[in-house]
Amino acid sequence: MRFTSITEELEVTKFKKRVEREFEGYFEKRGFSLIEPRIFQKYDLYVRSNFRQDSSKTVKVLSGNSRIYILRPDITTNVLGEIFSKWDGEPPLKVYYNSKIYLNKPGGKILENYQMGIESLGEDVLAADQEIVEMATSLMGTLGKPVILELGSSKYLDGIFKELELDLDEESEVRDLISKKNRYGLRIKLKSLGLEGTALEHILHLQGDMEEVIRMAKAYPMNREMSEAIDELEKLMESFNRRYTTGEIKFDLSMLPDLDYYDGIIFKGYCLGVPNKILSGGRYDRLTEEFGLRVPAIGFMIDLDLVTSIRIEEGR
Amino acid sequence: MDNITIAIAKGRLGEKGLELFKGTDMEIVREKNSRKLVFKDISGKTTFIFVKPSDVVTYVEKGVADLGIVGKDVILEENKDVYEIMDLDYGKCRFAIAGFKDRLSDKKNDVLRIASKYPQYVQSVFENRDQRIEIIKLNGSVELAPLIGLSDVIVDIVETGNTLRDNGLEILEDLDHISARLIVNKVSYRFKYGIIQEIERILGGE
Repeated sequence: MRFTSITEELEVTKFKKRVEREFEGYFEKRGFSLIEPRIFQKYDLYVRSNFRQDSSKTVKVLSGNSRIYILRPDITTNVLGEIFSKWDGEPPLKVYYNSKIYLNKPGGKILENYQMGIESLGEDVLAADQEIVEMATSLMGTLGKPVILELGSSKYLDGIFKELELDLDEESEVRDLISKKNRYGLRIKLKSLGLEGTALEHILHLQGDMEEVIRMAKAYPMNREMSEAIDELEKLMESFNRRYTTGEIKFDLSMLPDLDYYDGIIFKGYCLGVPNKILSGGRYDRLTEEFGLRVPAIGFMIDLDLVTSIRIEEGR
Repeated sequence: MDNITIAIAKGRLGEKGLELFKGTDMEIVREKNSRKLVFKDISGKTTFIFVKPSDVVTYVEKGVADLGIVGKDVILEENKDVYEIMDLDYGKCRFAIAGFKDRLSDKKNDVLRIASKYPQYVQSVFENRDQRIEIIKLNGSVELAPLIGLSDVIVDIVETGNTLRDNGLEILEDLDHISARLIVNKVSYRFKYGIIQEIERILGGE
C-alpha cells in the first residue's frame, strides 16, 4: 500500500508555499528584508558560542583542506556573521530568512527542517521587544487554534546563579532540574548544596499570569540583573496595554533558553494540541559582541513545517 | 475545555497511582477483570489510558496524554523531552550494578560486559567513566547473565536484594533512586497549568 501520492505531496507543497508567501509578505510590510544565510559554518566558532549545546547534533562536513564545517544548525549566528562583516551598527537593521537547518537525529538520520524567522538589530530595546513579541503573536494568530506565548527572561536565572558561584557541573545539574520543572528534585539538590532559602527555592512558582508573576517576583530580594529582568518584563507587559486576552501570554521566570546566547527576554509559542513549540526566540545582545560590536538584538524563528501542517489540518 | 488525559503504566505501579485518586471526583470505576484500556472518571472530564510502562513516556511526549504516572527507571531509560513535576513517593527502589565481587578482577583495560534491560541508561552511567563496556540487552531474568557467563555484571532495579542474594550476586555500586513520578507534556503544562496544579495537590503535592 502506498501512503502518499505525488499529487498529494505537490498539493501540500503548494499550500506551504502559500503560507510562506503570506508570512514573507507580512515581514516585508513590517519593514523586514530577506537575507540568505550560508549553508556551511565553522565548527569551532559554533562550539565557542554554544558551549552548553550538544555539538554532536550538528552535521559535520570536511572541507578540501580538512577543516571542519557544519551544516547550519540554526540561522541566527549564521546571518550575524554575514551582517557584521558589512555593518557598523547604524542604521537599525531588520531582516527575515526562510531556509533549511540540518541536525543529526537518532538512528543516523539527518533532520532537514525549514526555518523562518526574523532578526531586529540596533533598535531600541523596549521598542524592539514590543515589536517582535507582537509579530510573534500575530503569526500564531493565523493558526486558528488557541495559542500561548510563554515569556521569560534569561537574565533572571543568570542573576541568581551569578550570586551563588556554583561550579559548572553543579550549575548545569540545577539548570537541568529547573528545565524539567522538577520541584522536589530541585529541593533535594539545593539542600545537598546548602542552598535552602535562596532565590532558587521558589523559582518554579514564578510562572503563570503576567501580573501575578511580577508581583510574586517583587516580593523576593533581587540583585541588579534580576531586577533588570523584572523591570523589562513589566514594561513590556504595560506596553501590551491589555491588548492580549488573558491567557494568550504567560510569564515563566523558570524558563531556560534553548540557546546559550540569549540574554534578555526569551519566549516560546505553543498551540493547543500540538506537542512541539511553534516558535521560539529572544534577545541576544551578548552574542553580537563576538562579532566585534555590541548592539541590541532580538529575533525569533518559526517552524514553518509545523505551521503548514496545523493550517492544513484546520482547513479540512 | 480543560479535559485531561492521563497515561497510567499497567501493573502494580500504575494501580497504586490510581488509588491516589480514590475519594476525589477523578476516581474511576472499573468492573473486575476488565480488559478495557480507556476509562473516564466520575466527573467525565478525565480520561485514563492504560499502556505499557515504557510507552507512557512516549504518549506524554507526543501529547496524546497530558500526564503520565510511571517509574523513574523508565524515564531514565527513555530520556524523552517531558517535564517531571512530582515524586509520588511510592514504588521505591534503586538502580544498582551487581555481580560477583570476588570474580571481578581489574577490568579497567578490558571490556566490561554488562547485561541489562536498560541499555540507554547503562550507556549514560558509563559515558564519562574510563571504562570500555559492552552492553547486552536482555528482556528478563537479568540475574542469570553473570551466572552463565553471558556478562560480567548486570545493571538492574533492586528492591529488597533478595533475588540477587538467591543467585549469589552482590551489589557493587548503587546508582539512581527510583520511585513513581508524575510527568507532563510541555505544551499541556502551559495550557492546563491550573488543572495540573490541582492534580498535584490531589496526589499529595504542595
